[in-house]
Amino acid sequence: MIKGTKTATVADANGSYSLDKVPSNAVLVFSSIGYQTVEIPVEGKVVINAVLSQQAVGLDEVMVVAYGNVKKGSYSGSATMVKGDAIKDIPVVTFEQAITGAVAGVSIAQTSGQPGGMPEIRVRGFSSFNAGNDPLYVIDGIPATSGDLSSANIWSSTMNYLNPSDIETITILKDAAAASLYGSRAANGVILITTKKGNTGKIVSTFKASAGVSYFAYNNYPLASDSEAEMLHREAWTNYANANPSSWASYGSVSSYVNAKVEQYYPSKKEGYEYVDWEDVLFRNAVSQNYEFNISGGGPQSKVYASVGYNDQQGVNVMEKLTRISTTFNAEAQASKHVKVGGSFQFTSTNQKGNQDGAAKDNPYYLWKVYLTSRWPYKDAEGNYWMESYNGSYRNPVPNFDKQIAYSKQGRTMLKGFAEADILPGLKAKTILSYDYTRIDDRFGWMMGHPNGTAYGNGYIGDRYRRVEKLVSSSTLSYDKTFADKHHVAFMGGWEAEDDSQQYTNLSKSDFANYGMQSTYLAATLKEGGTYNDQSTLLSVISNLNYDYDNRYFLTGTFRRDGSSRLSPEKRWGNFWSISGSWKITNEKFMKDIEWADNIRLRASYGTSGTLPSSLYGYMSLFSYDIYGEGNAAYPSNLANYDLTWEKNLNWNVAIEYDFLQRFGIVAEYYQRTTKDLLLDASVPTTTGFQTALRNVGSMQNKGVELSLHANIIKNRDINWDFNIHWSKYTNEILEMSEKGESIVSRPHIWTAGYSYYQYYTRKYLGVDPENGSPLYAKGTLLEDGSYDMTPVNRKQASSMILEGMTAIPKGFGGFSSNFSYKNLSVSMSWSYKYGHYVWDNALDDIDSDGYSYRNNIGADQLNRWTVAGDDTNVPMRIADNAYGGYYDSSRFLKKGDYLRLKNLTISYDLTKVLKEKANARIYIAGANLLTFSGLNFDPEVRDSGYYNFSMPAMRTFTIGVELTLK
Amino acid sequence: MKKFIINIVIAFAALSFTSCEGFLDTEPTDQVSSATAMLTLTDATNAINGLYSDMKWYDYYGAYIPVLGELRADDLQTKDSGGGWVAVYTMDYSSEQSSYFELWNKCYEVIMRANTILENWEKIPTSTTNDITTKNDIKGQALATRALVYFDLARCYGYPFANDNGASLGAVIITKTVSATEARKPRSTVAQTYNQVFTDLEEALPLLSKSKNTGHMNYWSARLLQARAYLYTEQWGLALTAAQDVITNSPYTLASRANYVNYWSQEGGVETILELLVRRTSHLDDDGGYNSWYYPLWHGSEINSTGRIIPTQSLIAILKNQTADIRSLMIRDGSTSIISDHKDWLGKFPGTGYVDAKMNNPIIMRLSEAYLIAAEAALHTSPTTAAGFINTLRQNRILNYTNVSTITLNDILTERRKELVGEGHRFFDLMRTKNSVTRSGGFHWCTGEAVTITPTSFKVCLPMSHSQRLIYPELQQNPGYTE
Repeated sequence: MIKGTKTATVADANGSYSLDKVPSNAVLVFSSIGYQTVEIPVEGKVVINAVLSQQAVGLDEVMVVAYGNVKKGSYSGSATMVKGDAIKDIPVVTFEQAITGAVAGVSIAQTSGQPGGMPEIRVRGFSSFNAGNDPLYVIDGIPATSGDLSSANIWSSTMNYLNPSDIETITILKDAAAASLYGSRAANGVILITTKKGNTGKIVSTFKASAGVSYFAYNNYPLASDSEAEMLHREAWTNYANANPSSWASYGSVSSYVNAKVEQYYPSKKEGYEYVDWEDVLFRNAVSQNYEFNISGGGPQSKVYASVGYNDQQGVNVMEKLTRISTTFNAEAQASKHVKVGGSFQFTSTNQKGNQDGAAKDNPYYLWKVYLTSRWPYKDAEGNYWMESYNGSYRNPVPNFDKQIAYSKQGRTMLKGFAEADILPGLKAKTILSYDYTRIDDRFGWMMGHPNGTAYGNGYIGDRYRRVEKLVSSSTLSYDKTFADKHHVAFMGGWEAEDDSQQYTNLSKSDFANYGMQSTYLAATLKEGGTYNDQSTLLSVISNLNYDYDNRYFLTGTFRRDGSSRLSPEKRWGNFWSISGSWKITNEKFMKDIEWADNIRLRASYGTSGTLPSSLYGYMSLFSYDIYGEGNAAYPSNLANYDLTWEKNLNWNVAIEYDFLQRFGIVAEYYQRTTKDLLLDASVPTTTGFQTALRNVGSMQNKGVELSLHANIIKNRDINWDFNIHWSKYTNEILEMSEKGESIVSRPHIWTAGYSYYQYYTRKYLGVDPENGSPLYAKGTLLEDGSYDMTPVNRKQASSMILEGMTAIPKGFGGFSSNFSYKNLSVSMSWSYKYGHYVWDNALDDIDSDGYSYRNNIGADQLNRWTVAGDDTNVPMRIADNAYGGYYDSSRFLKKGDYLRLKNLTISYDLTKVLKEKANARIYIAGANLLTFSGLNFDPEVRDSGYYNFSMPAMRTFTIGVELTLK
Repeated sequence: MKKFIINIVIAFAALSFTSCEGFLDTEPTDQVSSATAMLTLTDATNAINGLYSDMKWYDYYGAYIPVLGELRADDLQTKDSGGGWVAVYTMDYSSEQSSYFELWNKCYEVIMRANTILENWEKIPTSTTNDITTKNDIKGQALATRALVYFDLARCYGYPFANDNGASLGAVIITKTVSATEARKPRSTVAQTYNQVFTDLEEALPLLSKSKNTGHMNYWSARLLQARAYLYTEQWGLALTAAQDVITNSPYTLASRANYVNYWSQEGGVETILELLVRRTSHLDDDGGYNSWYYPLWHGSEINSTGRIIPTQSLIAILKNQTADIRSLMIRDGSTSIISDHKDWLGKFPGTGYVDAKMNNPIIMRLSEAYLIAAEAALHTSPTTAAGFINTLRQNRILNYTNVSTITLNDILTERRKELVGEGHRFFDLMRTKNSVTRSGGFHWCTGEAVTITPTSFKVCLPMSHSQRLIYPELQQNPGYTE
């Protein structure tokens, strides 16, 4: 490029270039990503060659941050960037699944293994009880509609619309300096996504295709075998009979009684009937395919990127599927010497089908593990599906899969346009207008003929239509100038307005006339129907001031003022600011000749951000309406609160970065974030007539440490091998509730001052009495000295207590990854790990019920039960209809959740040499969730709260793919 | 110049937003601000409907009241451990299982709605004498409903008045809308709770309309409630007067023997004084459909199932074979059912309009009860008149009935069993008359403390919720339960 002009050209693969009409006094600037920029004055020469040396580890890398770009080495905030290229081969539907374990301090868990299931992302822990702990998503500079908007009993993330291949970079903003500019929505961090924009230079088109297969990633809930289960059932009934002589009196003997009971509830196989391993008929290997085509190019004055993608994912059960068609078009151009314009258009249509998740009648995973025993016939002697029920509620689900409906169709359109003008040298104005439209059609129900449908009539269908719109307008002015060669000042200021509106319509009807009907026109009975609209608006002023001296000292301040419609007029304006600085020690004179350090940088930040209430009208005092007889019924629906205000987050962060030997880099960070005025649907005495009221109560604090190490072990022309590992830890403590000594129980956790948000509160299980096999619990009442009474008693006499040290918060979590390449072969893998936390296994009362559930499957763990006096075990004696079994809470449900998982592995081979210069080609095989090491008997990737209850577990995927790039 | 203009435009745009405050004012579309929700007589009528639509939920009259009244006694029982409401039958409830605290929460929700009406009542404008009558009736309904709720709180969460003259702990008395802090009051005694009931009823009675008002409180339901409350507090004379007022002066008549079976399918039936209107075909929780009292009684088809809650051997023995008594038809024979246990089932509630047996209007008060109350009260004050009430009732129930001249308390209690089975009275009747319940033999399978319940067993009243007490320690726990 000719310095100071826009005249530029791109060198070819051999490094040859040519530039015409170069003034003889010009300076040529040579740059390339990953290399240090070189400037060479022309001085009349005709041929100028330049040699560029590789950059020190990414310091000059441009990183997208709040409202602009900075060089990584000059940035005082805490932010991590992931390149789209690094995740491009990972076989996932949304990008969040691909970066699990990749960023220090960020934990990502799947809520469900169904295709399209929504991930739960937490940046540096969590700061809110009730107002949401999800980060803000910003796409190409504009906040986007995010979250779970489906309502058809299946999880569906709004980020499903974004094809990971269209992503250029993802930056996660973690501290106040980074996120404060987003003010009232930034308390949980910000995820900035930049989509591909094209490049100046030749047109490059890429075609990519992959296909894969998935199945459960882990052996979930091993069950006792058929003969073991029969033995355990017999034992349970025998023990019951021995303890209750009157029960078997009419049968004559214990054994006839036991035989009769076992035959009734765990019957022997009937002659001629077909019995199956239920896993074979409920689940299948899920096949997925993905095709993409994109084209990217431009000239010296413009850039264009366009893509189209098709993704088809089956789920392991025939009801589950996700199909997505996504298209993107991004373009920008220099309209005139001083004005640049650009725009983007994205359209995605997603079609998702699934089944209810969790402990629900329609979840085949739940039925498989709990109800469908090996004695439950699949088909009778005539070959018809056996449709009777052993327990009155659940039936053979297989013939009814096609009558169960749970689908969600999303159409999302994002339109953006921007204009940028150079007003004066160094002074730029930019304005962006964005329209984000999402349409979600959900349908849930059971067609006529499905046993669940008869509870509602002859079939039931509920339709929900949602239209979500977000209009954002943002205008900023920015000024950038360097004085006296050493003082660099940059200022940005502007304003923004956002308008979110939603229309929600639902309609449900029942009593269809015939099988196979889904259209509600064909149903006779109206169940309910209605429409409502919602609106929420935000108005803001934003500003940012940067000053740096001599590339050694950097100082930044940000200020944002937000006004929100969700609060009363007296309380709706809030100010958010931050101040941060960094010191590049290695640029100091006294460090010039030091060889043991390439870069030492110290940075620190302090600032505020906030969280809005998730309820749009929470502060108002409102009446709701219902129907009574032929008339209307009206009633007060909430306890109003005009003093409702933001949750306020105060964050500070210090970090040190140390790079050495041109190969190694270490970053160590410590942060503290305190939230005040926590928004909570606080429990109120029900004598108010309400159970909760939305209030700002209490405060919470997170403190944490993040350590990352990057090592480029081998770096030469043929071989490149790097290794990254990071580790994070945080502690969370509730500092204050609304009243001194107040506790709120939110099963299985308790919220009380001095403990974390995920502190478990339940009866303490003390194991089994070796004399008689009964389960023992600690009495749990509070003694005078403040400790708990630990006397072993039975369940009915035991109270819940705070289980010190048992929380869902890990003692450490993170990931490590490694990339290895040798000539044309490259291998990369990434692992994630988490340890020190406890998870709550809610399946215990169904599967390991100690005999209470005498019809259900029995978990393999029950084989360890107590049988004779003297047995030392943790599993109590089995007694049928066990009065101490079944549903009851205790620490027996708590299990250590430590795990290590190979999240993805990709092996790719570059075939470019084969195809010469016309095209680049690559084939690869990739896998996700390949290996899991854990002590749990179910998939260890559990959500942050630690609570697990039969959601569809994670899938292990193998794919093979090919990528062809034409130039 | 161009640049200057652009600067001005941007600066102006930045300033102009401050005048866009209206941009930040939004309103919901599915709810109404309370400032405008209680201004007219129509609004108040809607708000009164809000009381009844709340009471029909499963956690109040939709299920909990009949469950607590029947399943702890000897007329109805849970068939087996897979049946309905097992924990109530086995008396297996505790302070940490807060599901039985939902009744308390629902009661206070109704009380809050009644208090909201009473507080906004004054300022409702009226323009005709009709309006004034309507307005007064509204106040009367609010007060009478509040009285009913306090009555239920006293008998479910406090010990029987008869044990100790109401000295045990009862409800928290709240007579106006309160904030979260003001709501943390300690419990009053059962006697004080009954006082509140009587105070509210005395204020309500002169205001209430004396015409029938299907699905709503009127003078007669308030009077019958008063009779019932006098009976529970052993004020026999007052109970007799109130019951006689209803018997003699109300527009209701006893269902005849010929009409009895059909009566139970009717909305606004001849002797129904207070019922709650439930949609006939909804199966969703809003009408208490799924979890209501009527669902586990439901027998499915006549041939292939029995209910999950069944009549006890004890009830069958006194009623099933009394063919002259029309009420014997309430127990349906299970011997031809294909379900191997061949249990009989309660066929009393066939569904409103015979549409769906799971959807019935809970009938809270009806004329038959007035006769029974009058008879029992008369036993204590003018014993020779007691038999007369029972005779009239039986004339309408038993074919070729011959009047009796004397009647004992046991006779009356048995008559109550036959007449009121399934309506949630039995357990409370035994407790208030200082009797015990024994559930053994026959089909009973409960064990331990659930077999014999005396009026002083600590489980006669429900516990306060443990988790509620964590945020509201002023709420005293009932004795015997863990804190």
